[in-house]
Order: sequence, then C-alpha cells, then structure tokens
Amino acid sequence: MITRLAASPSPLRDDVPRTPDPDLLRQLADGEIGALGELYDRYREPIRSFVARATCDAEDVDDLVHSIFLAAAKSAGRYDGRPSCRPWLIGIAAQLLRRRRQSFGRFLAVLSSLRDVRATAADPRPALQARSDVERALGRISAAKRITLLMAEVEGLSCAEIAAALGVPIGTVWTRLHAARRELRRALEEGDKS
Amino acid sequence: VSATPCHRLFEAEAMRDGRLTGAERARFERHVAGCPACSIEVRALEALAESLRAEFPDHAVADEVRARRERTRLMAAFDRALLAPEQSRNVRHWLLWPAAVSALVVAILLVLPRVRRPAEPPTHPLSAVVHADSTSVWSERRDGDREKVVLERGALWIHVNHSSGEGRLLVVLPDGELEDIGTTFTVSADDGQTTRVAVQEGHVVLRIRGQAAIALGPGDTWIPDPRPVASARASAPAADPAPSARLDALERSTQPTLPPSPRVASPTASDSSVDFRAAMAALDIGDNHQAAAGFATFLAKHPHDPRAEDAAYLRVIALQRSGDSAGMKRAAVEYLRRYPAGFRQAEVESLSR
Repeated sequence: MITRLAASPSPLRDDVPRTPDPDLLRQLADGEIGALGELYDRYREPIRSFVARATCDAEDVDDLVHSIFLAAAKSAGRYDGRPSCRPWLIGIAAQLLRRRRQSFGRFLAVLSSLRDVRATAADPRPALQARSDVERALGRISAAKRITLLMAEVEGLSCAEIAAALGVPIGTVWTRLHAARRELRRALEEGDKS
Repeated sequence: VSATPCHRLFEAEAMRDGRLTGAERARFERHVAGCPACSIEVRALEALAESLRAEFPDHAVADEVRARRERTRLMAAFDRALLAPEQSRNVRHWLLWPAAVSALVVAILLVLPRVRRPAEPPTHPLSAVVHADSTSVWSERRDGDREKVVLERGALWIHVNHSSGEGRLLVVLPDGELEDIGTTFTVSADDGQTTRVAVQEGHVVLRIRGQAAIALGPGDTWIPDPRPVASARASAPAADPAPSARLDALERSTQPTLPPSPRVASPTASDSSVDFRAAMAALDIGDNHQAAAGFATFLAKHPHDPRAEDAAYLRVIALQRSGDSAGMKRAAVEYLRRYPAGFRQAEVESLSR
C-alpha cells in the first residue's frame, strides 16, 4: 500500500478493506506517508477526471492532480471529518484551479502587453483539443462557470459546499450555474446547427 | 418539441440548485406534473447534467503505468516536503560555514602567537559508569569519538551521562554490539553470546550478527530467541553469578516486566500507529536519536506493517540528521536488504555508500 510499489497490489484496485476517510486523513496529518498513497489510490481517478473536465484536458492535468494531493496532505489536519473526503478534495482542486486561472490570466496579460494585443480570458487550447460536442461546448464557457457547473452536476456538491470551496457567496454560485447552463445549451444548439 | 412558455420556468433551475425547499418545492413539483413547459425544462436540465457526467471518460484509468509513475512522483514530493524544513536549515548552516571558518582562522592567527597554553589533558566527551559483577570479563577503549566497552562474559550495569558530551558508547558483545542512546541498562553475555539486555532508561540499539537491529526502550528486556523465556529466566542467575548490589537491585526491578514469551517486551501497548506516530513526533521535533530508535522499535515490533518500509527509510533519515553516519549507513544497508526494490531504493543506495 504505502511504498512497495513493486510488490503491492495495483493502486487502482478497489477490493481491499478501506480505512475510513477521516482516519486516513488523521494518519496523513500525523505525517504517515502511506496514508497519502492510499488517499491517492482511492481518489486519483475522480479527482483527475474532475481536473481534466475543468481544464478541458489541459496538458498539466497530472501536475494539478499532484498539487491537489500535496495540498490535501498539508491541510489534512483541518479535515472536517465527513465520511467521504471526495468533496473536500474537489474543493481543494477548485481552489487550485482558480489560482492557476488567475496566474494564467496574469501571464496572458503580460504577454498581451508585450505584444500589444488584447488578452483573451479563455485559454485557446481547449477549443483545439475538444473531442466531443459537450467537451467543445464546455471549453467555450469561462473556467469559473465551468468549474462551478462540474462541481454541481458531476460531483454532486450542494451550492453551499461549492460556495465554501470557492470562497464566493452562494448567490455567485447560483448565478454562475445559471449562466453556465445557458451558455452550454446555446453552444450545444449552435453545434447542432453547424 | 414546443411548449407554451410558463412564467414559473425559472423555478426548474431553482429547484435543481436547492433554492426551492419544503413547501415551495412541493408546490413546484405539483406544478411540473401539469405543465409541459416546466416538465420539459426539468428533463432538459437533467439531460444536460447526464451529458456532462457521461463525457470525459477517464482515459487515464486504464493507464496503470502512468498512474504508478504519478503516484511515485507524488510520494517523492511528499518526502521532500516532509524533509524540507531540515534541509533548509542545513542549507542555512552551509551558508554560515564560510563566515564561521573565516572568523575561526582570524581568531587563531590573532591569539596563537601570544598564548602558549600548557598541554591540555585529553577530553572525555562521554561520562559513563559501569558496574560489573565479580565474574565479568570486560575492558574499555576509545575509538575516535566513541567509547567502547568490550564485554566477553558476565553482566554489566551501565549508566551513560550524555549531558557531559556528545560522544557515544558502544558495547561490543561476543556476537554483536549494543549502541547506547542516552541510557541506563544492563547487559549480560555468556558462552560467546549475549544472554540478556534490560533497559531502565533511554534507548539502546542491539545488533546481533545475522539479525535485524532491535531498538529497546525503557522497560524493554531482550533475551535470545532459541531459549524459552522460562529457561532464560532460570539461566539469568547463572549468567550473572555475583552481580554487584546495584546490579542485583536493578535486575530484580526488571524481572516483573518480563513477558511470557515475546522476544522484545514493552510495558506499553504494541499499537503500530502509536509507535509510528511517536517516532514521527520525535522526528518532527528534531529528536533524531529518539526518532531513529522509535523507527527501529517499530520495525522490530511490526515488521509486516504497511508502514514498515517508511519506517526503515525514515530511520535512515533520522540517523543522517543526527550525524551518525555509520549508523545511517547500517540502516541504509538494512533498508536495502529488506526492500531491494523499495520505493526509496535509489536514494537509500546513495546514502549507504
């Protein structure tokens, strides 16, 4: 489980007895390295999937996932004890994605000032890499709305949980969800017409 | 499909987002049942969510090699983060070195020509008291910064006062060695082998040739494997035919702590997590000797625990931090012996050289 990668079962296997998430987080807070490995084995897939959707499968998905688990290790002592820590990890992911977005925005602003062109808020790569109608449509809405929508509709987080995770008022979450759905539906309709 | 617009259409989304609760929600649900437009809207919102959930099948799931690689990377990063404070302190120490060396050289150049000091007696960085029984055959010698007590047979009661210096004491046994880590303990040997070790205070690490190192803490008593405990108890007086009065008293005081059978007995509960956390806590506060002993204890008590490899690795790190390079190398070799394909094999291999 912890470190004997060569001899341990596949980290993706799901049929081993599980330590409850709160206990696992407690062990992690105590500095037990193995707990991080177990947490990773348990939640890598959903977290990676969330990050891939939120970033439209950006090139740095694995780096982001990596950062999410390290951030989780750092703040494990503050875990609130919910039976499943998936929403908590999703919250961490959302915060890291927001920081990444802000950094990326600043980077684009610097680039645009150097080249005397107007910065665009959206990363152009997702549109190029989109592989399906929904993915393409998702790539066309802003990252903030996209992440909020995914947290609600895919991860099943309540609006209050999303607001807490993102550090925004719940009204902002409702607004983003409404706008995201509207834009997504419009984008899908346009895709159908074209 | 077309439907007549409804002024309550927006409530479909409000219900989905949890903005409608209780009676409001119940009323809207009743309305949906009879309103084609709202019914379509509710289904459309659900279909949108379904399409989102159905998209992006995790294409990395099947890529186990990639998952393993990322896992390895994560664990290595966590290790680095775990060790970072110590490393940064070390970096700061390195930055201070040039200034310290320069100041020392200047001081020597200024002071040396003016002062002719009488030769100072050799310092003894370690203060140890050894009580031996009348039949014991033992000697002492100094090897670098390490005091060595060589026990051929008999029983010794040893108290080491580490507050007087930084030196270490090693008890050389007929079949191994016993390393002291700030301690009061008794050790007995007979017929070319160690017959008993009992620790009253502090910690020792016992290394019997051909066996894994064993850390012993306060109250721990070690007797060799082949002898049943009952016979070991019975043979104790034979091994210690005439110990000193103090030795007798200590031996008697440790007798009740002897367990019925385990090789290493501790009065504390053998909860693996407790042991591991205790060692981690020592490592966290910089008590590296204690941490190394704690991890050794953990390994001895819980060799099959999933954290055993971590403990073996962290023991190496604790010894490295404590400045015990010889102990670190031995721990590194022990790690590699136990985990030849271990997660930290490459790093430990470099430390073992």
